[in-house]
Amino acid sequence: MLRRPASVVMIALALSAVLAAQALGGAGQFTILLSMKGPGSGNPFWAAVERGARETAKALGVKLVVLAPPAETDVQAQISHIEDQIAKRVNAIVVAPTDVSALNTTFDKARARKIPVLFVDTDGTWAYKLTFIGTDNKVGGALGGKFLCDSLGRKGDVAIITGVMTTQSIRARVEGARETMTKCGLKVVAELPANSDRALGQQVMEDLLTSKPTVKGVFAANDLMALGAAEAVKARGKKGQILLVGFDAIPEAGQAILKGEMAASVAQNPYNMGKFGVQNALNALQKKPVAKRIDTGTILVTKKNAQQYAK
Amino acid sequence: MQIEQATPTERPRLRLSADLLGRMGLGLVVLLMMTVLTILQPQYFPTRENLTNIARQVSSNAVLALGEFVVVVTAGIDLSVGSVMGLSMIVVAMSLHAGWMSGFALLAALAVGTGVGLFNGLALTKLHLPHPFIATLATLNIARGATYLLSGGVPISGLTPTVRFFGAGEVHLFGEGALALTFPVSFLIVMALYSLVWLFMSKTRTGRHIYAIGGSPKAAQYAGINTNRNLVLVYAVSGAMAGVAGILLAGRVNSGYPTAGTGAELDAIAAVIIGGASFFGGRGSAVGVFLGAIIMGLLRNGLNLMNVSVFWQQVLIGLIILLAVYVDVLRRRAMRLED
Repeated sequence: MLRRPASVVMIALALSAVLAAQALGGAGQFTILLSMKGPGSGNPFWAAVERGARETAKALGVKLVVLAPPAETDVQAQISHIEDQIAKRVNAIVVAPTDVSALNTTFDKARARKIPVLFVDTDGTWAYKLTFIGTDNKVGGALGGKFLCDSLGRKGDVAIITGVMTTQSIRARVEGARETMTKCGLKVVAELPANSDRALGQQVMEDLLTSKPTVKGVFAANDLMALGAAEAVKARGKKGQILLVGFDAIPEAGQAILKGEMAASVAQNPYNMGKFGVQNALNALQKKPVAKRIDTGTILVTKKNAQQYAK
Repeated sequence: MQIEQATPTERPRLRLSADLLGRMGLGLVVLLMMTVLTILQPQYFPTRENLTNIARQVSSNAVLALGEFVVVVTAGIDLSVGSVMGLSMIVVAMSLHAGWMSGFALLAALAVGTGVGLFNGLALTKLHLPHPFIATLATLNIARGATYLLSGGVPISGLTPTVRFFGAGEVHLFGEGALALTFPVSFLIVMALYSLVWLFMSKTRTGRHIYAIGGSPKAAQYAGINTNRNLVLVYAVSGAMAGVAGILLAGRVNSGYPTAGTGAELDAIAAVIIGGASFFGGRGSAVGVFLGAIIMGLLRNGLNLMNVSVFWQQVLIGLIILLAVYVDVLRRRAMRLED
């Protein structure tokens, strides 16, 4: 019977050890919250956003708190950690929202406390946002589509592997690619969802190889799905015969492009998202002007320039 | 002694004393966590704003866990609750956008939740699917797919003030100005539902039958309890609770989004286990599950306030599940030795 209080103490000790370790941080006049869609250690993209934010915060001498839900679909976890940080009086919030509108009531609470909210990566529908800092994903998708147009001589069958279609950025990429490819004369014979997941990307590509053998090029809405697709193509012994274009230019995709397993990827500049996010949050806190829309740019990554993305 | 234990009159009493101990232990854990958090975060944790946040944050999980608890008491499991919550949210949002009155939209969401629950119960008892895991795994997928189909994969935002009231509203209890005591409506609903289920499970004959079915289905049948009818009832209750959870969450975020509740069944099950309900059925109390949900909420809130990575939150919740069940194993062993 006495075991329970003992275990209670164990829980408390474990908890306080973790908490105390995190509590000892540097001071700073302003604290900025960076709330990302996924943890930096789970996806190189978010790791780059986090690095950009951390390095900039350090250079500018502001305190930075970085939090993320365990999965990009976990809206409730993101709402909770933002609310908790509002209760803790962060000075500004830089957020990549997991849903374009489900967090609006949370941002209303920030607004009531006069905490500015800046969107990065994914734009939200919230009317009072200070700015949106991110890639023009439609332009990026079109860039990937144009690469397939040029490489395939403007004719033939292509397919699109879509991601989590509730995400605005993914939808815009798919739209941009579809529009450009259809306009230049390519035929989009399939558009299949793979939930932005690598294993599903592989599975969808396996099915595609079976059901649509005429497909010569594939645009995937993120690199994880493109890398999964590359596995499927390699397993069928068709490496290099089907042009795979991804999005994000994560290091592994850079390596795959160098090895000829993927043809191209569209690079966003996630480092800039973190960097511009923190810079502009500080600008807002110091009452300096902030532009309504800040583009972080896109670049086509092929064998020619993949080296710098492969690390 | 052995024979006496097996009779229905003796079992609840033994169960009750074990429950009481478990409940006190859980209450101590909650108090201790609150004390630790108050010491570590004196400026932020014990504020009204933060405590209100916690109350709102735990609401939908607490309601899901309550439905799950009733099922677990029969030694069953309901994997569909997260998906049903998502479906209920989309149903509320879509009916409102189709111009329905708020009351009807809420009823529609409740009906959909109860309907899926009824289906689960009938699949188990009429189709004789071997284990509730199977029927509810099927409806987990069906409900999630339906959620995406109905919404077209996009969030549906902007709900009516009535629906928002349930998820985000506050009621003014008493007092004026700075001393005014307000309370989140969603948490009031949580407490009302828990009280109802507690009364139902411990004070009504049907409730005692449900415990008996989980304790020993054969004995329950010999005692003349209609096992099938009670099983259908518990799955319907679980579905209805998922419907309510969807309404609370929709009101809170002012939107229905199709990914809502993905994986939420696991959080609900975790709260039930931490709350001391036995997976083999027949044991557990609504009070324990309530405390289980609070413990999870406090842990997440505390870690968020301390800026701790979400991975630590997952690790710690896993450890707490292990500890809670291990303590339960020790307690039962001690009880056997006493006998």
